[in-house]
Amino acid sequence: MAGVEFSRVRKEFGGFTAIEALDLRIEEGEFVSLLGPSGCGKTTTLRMLAGLEFPTAGEIRIGERVVNDVPPGQRDIAMVFQSYALYPHMTVRRNMEYPLRKRGLPAAERQASVLMAAEMLQLTELLDRKPRQLSGGQQQRVALGRALVRDPQVFLFDEPLSNLDAKLRGHMRAELVELHARLGRTMVYVTHDQLEAMTMSDRIAIILAGELQQFAPPQEVYRAPANRFVAGFIGMPSMNLVDGRLAHGSGSWQFMAPGIALPVPALAETAVAGEACLGVRPEHVHIGAGELQGRVQLVEQTGHENIVVLAVAGGIRLTCRTPASMIPRMGDTVDFRIDSERVHVFAPGDTGPRLNLPA
Amino acid sequence: MMRRILFNLSVWSAVLIVAFPLFWMVVTSLKPQVELWARPPALLPLEPTLEHYLTLLRDTSFLVYFRNSVLLSTATTLLVIGVAALGAYSLVRFRYRGRESLAMLVLFTYLLPSVILILPLYLMMVKLGLANTLVSLVLAYTTFALPYALWLLRSFMAGIPEDLESAALVDGATRLGAFRDVILPQLLPGIISTALFTFILSWNEYLFALVLVNSDATRPLTTGVMNMLISSFNIEWSMLMAASVMMSLPLIIAFSLLQKYLTRGFGAGAVKG
Ligand SMILES: Nc1ncnc2c1ncn2[C@@H]1O[C@H](COP(=O)(O)OP(=O)(O)OP(=O)(O)O)[C@@H](O)[C@H]1O
Ligand SMILES: [Mg+2]
Repeated sequence: MAGVEFSRVRKEFGGFTAIEALDLRIEEGEFVSLLGPSGCGKTTTLRMLAGLEFPTAGEIRIGERVVNDVPPGQRDIAMVFQSYALYPHMTVRRNMEYPLRKRGLPAAERQASVLMAAEMLQLTELLDRKPRQLSGGQQQRVALGRALVRDPQVFLFDEPLSNLDAKLRGHMRAELVELHARLGRTMVYVTHDQLEAMTMSDRIAIILAGELQQFAPPQEVYRAPANRFVAGFIGMPSMNLVDGRLAHGSGSWQFMAPGIALPVPALAETAVAGEACLGVRPEHVHIGAGELQGRVQLVEQTGHENIVVLAVAGGIRLTCRTPASMIPRMGDTVDFRIDSERVHVFAPGDTGPRLNLPA
Repeated sequence: MMRRILFNLSVWSAVLIVAFPLFWMVVTSLKPQVELWARPPALLPLEPTLEHYLTLLRDTSFLVYFRNSVLLSTATTLLVIGVAALGAYSLVRFRYRGRESLAMLVLFTYLLPSVILILPLYLMMVKLGLANTLVSLVLAYTTFALPYALWLLRSFMAGIPEDLESAALVDGATRLGAFRDVILPQLLPGIISTALFTFILSWNEYLFALVLVNSDATRPLTTGVMNMLISSFNIEWSMLMAASVMMSLPLIIAFSLLQKYLTRGFGAGAVKG
């Protein structure tokens, strides 16, 4: 069993810096997602861990071993590619056998491992087909099978579910979680789908432009985002972010923006008066009563709830969630209230750090 | 219906036009000497004979030339494919300064007419002590087949997803092993068509062979047959045709064996998305 550690890892492509200085410590047996927008360096990070790219600087460890100079085949890892990368000229059986063959296992052992993995993934019927004779979901399972056969220390996944339809994706999410529980191996999972990251991970590493923004369990990332980027990135519909000012008066802090004035509790020592950003989750805006007013601009009914967009003064828009039974009329002006115990305050800037203590 | 008939007619006439010289070559090679100049010419020989073939095989150096051509073309093809496959791999997989310009530069050789290259090449071969050997021809043919082969294989190689190789590396293969187990099988159709192209080019080459070798022991078929059957005074038509038939046979056989590779699609469905 082995964890994974990146220390001060830097990666440049020519003159372009893809990863600035990554520090990340993944514990033994942990399921960690690397989450971030397209081009932020998730794949690059994973490929460095696999040994397919070499870091420009810094150190990567798997277990106790520094692996910077260890070729991919000797790192005791398995990787599932977004494209599946099944060998087209080999049958499913040969595909799954390949890593064992390369390790010089005798034929009988190879057969046993392949059969076991095939059974686990319901591939037994398909063993003698070529990859092109399989559906996307079946190909995905073969790719998974090829990783499973040899019980590596660390599993790497690069968006393995992104080519599947929504239903199959949900099913495979559950399968992977179960697999992780059963094998107890360290798994590093790259995705740009926050739902996948939230539902599967022990911890999520959120990356923006090659820099780690937050590394924490899903609940914490949601409840106490470390900065403005994380706040806006996690959650569907996303958090309302309102630019305004912080003011200090008579021992308490106030946030002010056009049409909004709100006391904010528990600010950190570092907070200063001036520009700031208020973050409010849609579920913490309550329509019905309160001292604030807004005009109903849009109502989306999803079935189990409604998403309502309110236009407040100064061009500010707030998204809120209401129960399914409560359907405001478009164009009406309604009273609403913001749950000031649950708001987030950030310093100005795209990645302005969090200023208040988590509720 | 009408259109189909018209289409078939035009296709068949095209086939006939192309095939007729071949047919005439075979027919002429089977005619006894007396029938050659008969007027009007007979479509089929009245008394078909194999005497020309027998004479060629028994009384001339035809078989030596044939052996030379086979050796020469096979060696050239192997050398060109070996170098071009590795070169194409490097041009596609590794990133280094001047990679694109290098690929362009390679094609530049085709801008020079080969007549200009022949003399320096000949002098070089003399200096290397290779004058008048098959090796000198192999090297010369390689110089003009390699650039094209490199580009052909490069485009085939570029169509092979890099993930396949990455997967093989993670699965425990060395770079060479990944190349052999995963890249090469994917590249096979490309290699076969490139090999065929190179083989035909070497098999039919005339100019370099004329200049670089001039002894009967080292002449390939093209210059050998020319030398033997065509003189300023006379052309041995029926022998020439018999020689031509035997020269075409290897190519025809190779084509019919490899046809399915030439037309087969490449690793479809290997990679999703
Ligand atoms: N081989 C390369 N040469 C040059 N730049 C590269 C190379 N590979 C990646 N990059 C750059 O590094 C950055 C990170 O790329 P990476 O593939 O890691 O992104 P990603 O987070 O996986 O994105 P996606 O979600 O789209 O897959 C990108 O800006 C990309 O353009
Ligand atoms: Mg990626």
